[in-house]
Amino acid sequence: MGKFAWRNLLTRPLRTTLALIGLSIPILGVLGLFSLSNGLRDMVGDTLSQIEGVMVIRENAPSPVFSTLPADLAGKIRAIPGVRAVAPEVWGIAPNVEGQGMLMRSVGGLVSKKGPASLLDQTVISGQDIPAHANLKSAVFPRSLREKGEGRFLDEGDRGKPNIVISRKIAREFPRPDGSPRGVGDTLRIADVDYTIIGLYETGSMLLDVVVLMDIDSARKALKMPDELVSSIYVEAENPNGNDAISATIEADEPGVDARSMNEVQADFGTLMGQVDTFLMMTVSLALLVGVVGIVNTMLMSTTERFIEFGVLRTLGWSRTNVLSLVTLESAYLGLLSGLLGCALAWLGTVAANQFIEGGLRLALSPQLLAFGVGLSLVMGTLGGLYPAWQAARMVPMEAIRLGSR
Amino acid sequence: MIDVVNVRKSYKSGTRSVEALRGISCHIERGRFAFIVGPSGSGKSTLLYMLGAVDRPTQGDIIVDGESLGAMSESAQNDYRREKVGFIFQSFNLISNLSAVDNVLIPFLPRGVTAEQRQRAVTLLTQVGLGDRLDHRPHQLSGGEQQRVAIARALVKQPVLVLADEPTGELDSKTGDEIYKILRSMQQTYKTTLVVVTHDRRFITPRDLVLEIQDGHLIAGPTDALAPHPHPEPHPSGR
Repeated sequence: MGKFAWRNLLTRPLRTTLALIGLSIPILGVLGLFSLSNGLRDMVGDTLSQIEGVMVIRENAPSPVFSTLPADLAGKIRAIPGVRAVAPEVWGIAPNVEGQGMLMRSVGGLVSKKGPASLLDQTVISGQDIPAHANLKSAVFPRSLREKGEGRFLDEGDRGKPNIVISRKIAREFPRPDGSPRGVGDTLRIADVDYTIIGLYETGSMLLDVVVLMDIDSARKALKMPDELVSSIYVEAENPNGNDAISATIEADEPGVDARSMNEVQADFGTLMGQVDTFLMMTVSLALLVGVVGIVNTMLMSTTERFIEFGVLRTLGWSRTNVLSLVTLESAYLGLLSGLLGCALAWLGTVAANQFIEGGLRLALSPQLLAFGVGLSLVMGTLGGLYPAWQAARMVPMEAIRLGSR
Repeated sequence: MIDVVNVRKSYKSGTRSVEALRGISCHIERGRFAFIVGPSGSGKSTLLYMLGAVDRPTQGDIIVDGESLGAMSESAQNDYRREKVGFIFQSFNLISNLSAVDNVLIPFLPRGVTAEQRQRAVTLLTQVGLGDRLDHRPHQLSGGEQQRVAIARALVKQPVLVLADEPTGELDSKTGDEIYKILRSMQQTYKTTLVVVTHDRRFITPRDLVLEIQDGHLIAGPTDALAPHPHPEPHPSGR
């Protein structure tokens, strides 16, 4: 019967093709959105895995860029038992880089492909308390400079001087007049001050490679932040396993403060992405519904046209269940083919998209996700065929024969 | 073999009730070549399809090989049609996307086709002169050839009864002659009971059983074709 059902689909190639496209596009959408979601998880996971300490920011602030804390909080945290190092930081979106304001950088980046390409990809200033940061064991930027960068990192000699360390990405986005990326020894103009580039780093994460690192006092001037404030405080425990306990102590001692270990941030992000996935699934369900309606329509047209054929089959001894199985099998084949087509398109799409996406984000299409796509499509196709199959099975053979004899 | 006992059939056509059969009783012996003749709308095809358990009598009963068709469940009727009855239609009713062999094997498709059944289909197609067209699709066959495929399809299950509804109705007279030659030859070979509905009396021979129906009544037939119990109690399953 499987061969017969298959041939029935091939008999109406145009209609079958249209139904295939109708269901494969929502499947492509499902897989595309989930591959993006998985890519974001991987990217954030990779980024957070590079950061081992505890980040202290103002309660409910989404990131250090939007946080302010009293500068003297660093001293209180330093007094907590088990704390090894405390490094205050000042964070903010760079007000003006090479004459480009934030809006200009976004729009100009999209149009000219120079500068950051979106509002989420903005150049950020991070001012570091250089002696305190020199004590850190898990600092991301010095490590990435040593491993993949060039030049040197900030040291005591850079305190109060307009020296900066930038990523290779920023060096490319704000090139020299001849179009080549900026290098060590070049200057970068931020908020009407020329800063000398002393080092280039590369973390490979689009979340980290947007940071311009400088001395904390220089950053305060550029961001117009008063001396008695900092944005965040990076804390390292004597023992990395003690991070969660230190977070709890800080939050208990200092109301209005969030102390997050990276494990906690990762868990929060996982929860957020779970909610995003649910929202995506709800959105894509509408597209899936349209695809299923397409299958129902195709199969209903097919069964209506084949009224006499089903009557003949019933007359030749086929039961209602046999007819129901035949039509359901046909729609299941449609679902299976749509799933395979949707997966093939999604795979090609992610391979192509990954050629153009930079900054550590890779669309991730796992075998499990592909299997989910095929399975979902198979279920949708089968469900879409049930009503037409029931219609075909309940027809009365005598009526079909009378119709066929006219 | 077949006992038709006071069969009545009525159905609704719009708001009015149509009496298609008005108390038909007859008997057909095993291995007979029987014709049901009569004008259009007389009830011939209705009776034929009731013999095949495609439709149920409103009243009365049909007994084939000792089994009451009226008392059969739907599942038993499916089995009866699949295993004991072969149908030949006026319009051939072959499936367009299947080859001649696969069309012959249609009754077996839901349960899977055995090698023995496939061989039997090939043998039958060869016997009806289509040995060189086994893989042809219906659109590659003439009307006469399509009807020969339909004959093979009716016989492949080795039925006790073959029912043919105007089997030459869409064929020219020469092809019609060929079809009847094949039908008579196959009936001789397989000793099957054959009941044919037709308008065309040219193909009737003196040895055949002829039942003539008009306005739902059996108006002519040999005395031995009349059923022994013309007015039995209505069967409980009769609608």
